[in-house]
Amino acid sequence: MASAPALRDSALTQPSLLAIARVFGGISATAFGGGQIAAIRRAVVRRNGWVSEDDFLGLLSVAQILPGANPTNVAVLVGGRVCGPLGALVALAAAVLPGFAILMAIASVLLASRAPALVGALRGCAAVAVGLSLANAIEMTVPRWRSLIDLALIAAVATAVLAFHLSLVVTLGIFVPVALLVTRPEPVT
Amino acid sequence: MNLTRLALVFTVLSLLGFGGGNAIIPQMHADVVDRYHWITSADFTRYYALGKLAPGPTTTMAALVGFATSGWLGAIVATVAVFVPAGVLVYVCGFYWQRFRGNPIRERFARAIAPVVLGLIWAGVLTLARGALDSPIAIGLGTIAAIVLLSTKWNQAILVLVAGVVGAIALR
Repeated sequence: MASAPALRDSALTQPSLLAIARVFGGISATAFGGGQIAAIRRAVVRRNGWVSEDDFLGLLSVAQILPGANPTNVAVLVGGRVCGPLGALVALAAAVLPGFAILMAIASVLLASRAPALVGALRGCAAVAVGLSLANAIEMTVPRWRSLIDLALIAAVATAVLAFHLSLVVTLGIFVPVALLVTRPEPVT
Repeated sequence: MNLTRLALVFTVLSLLGFGGGNAIIPQMHADVVDRYHWITSADFTRYYALGKLAPGPTTTMAALVGFATSGWLGAIVATVAVFVPAGVLVYVCGFYWQRFRGNPIRERFARAIAPVVLGLIWAGVLTLARGALDSPIAIGLGTIAAIVLLSTKWNQAILVLVAGVVGAIALR
C-alpha cells in the first residue's frame, strides 16, 4: 500500500501516529457546524504536507462516493495513505471520539432536563436543524434542475422511501441500476 | 439482545451509507423509531439537532440512539457499528477505486448514484420535518434557517445555537 516511503513524493513528510491523532482529533473537537473537509485539507495538505493537493482531491472523491460520513472517510484514506492500516485506524478514532464525547456531554445536560426553557431550546434547535438540512438538499438539487431525468429520479426515490417505505437496500438495488440505464455519461455541471 | 440488534442496524446503515450521513436518515428512522420503537420520532429529530450542534459528523447521533436503548455500552456499540464497517470498506476499496480514476465505469457509477442519493436526502429532510416542524414558530424558525444558510456563509452550529435561545423563550 502507499505507505511505502520510497513511493512517496520526496517533498512530502511522513507523520507519526501521534501527529495523525493530534491533527484529526483537533479538527473533530473544533469543527462546529461542518467545514471539516476544508479544515482537514488545510491541515494535511497545506500545513503539514502529508499528501499533495492532487492526491487529496483524489482521496476526497473516493470518500464521497463510498459509503460512510465524508469526513471520517477522508480521515481513513489520508491516515491509510501516510501510515498504513494503523494510521487509518488512528485517524478514524481521532475523527470520531472528540465529537462523540462532546455530543454525549451536551446531550446529558439537554436531554435529561425537563425545565421548560431547555425543552423549548431543544425544539428550536431541532426546527433549525431541519431547515439546515432542507437548505443543503436545495443547494445540491439546484445544479440539476435542468435535467428532467435527474429530477424524476430524485422524486421517484423520495416517493418510494416516504410513501412506499422501501428499505435502503431495496431502494439502492432498484434505483442504482435504473439510474445507470437512464442517465447519460456526462456529469451535470 | 438489544445490543446485537443495535450493532446490526447500525452496521447495515454504515455499509449502505452512500452519499454520507444524510442519505441514511430515512432508514435509520424506519429502524429505530418505526420498527424497534427504541425512541420516538420527536427524540429522533432532537438527536439529529444535537448531532448538528456537536462538532464532528452528524452521524454521531447514533451514539444517542444507543444510549437511549442500552446506556453507555449501547452508545459505544452504536458508534463503533456506524463508523467502523464503512471505515474498513473505504480502506480496502478506496485504494483500488482510486486506481480506476478516469475509468468510464467509475465515472458512470458516480454520475448515476448522485440523483439516487439526493432522493434519499430529500426523504430524510421530510422525515425530520414531520418530527420537528410541529408549530408555526418551529416552521418559521426552520424556514428562516434555510433562507439564511442559502444566502449567507454563516456557521451552522451558531444558527442552531441561536435557535436554541429563541426556542427557550418562544417554544417553552
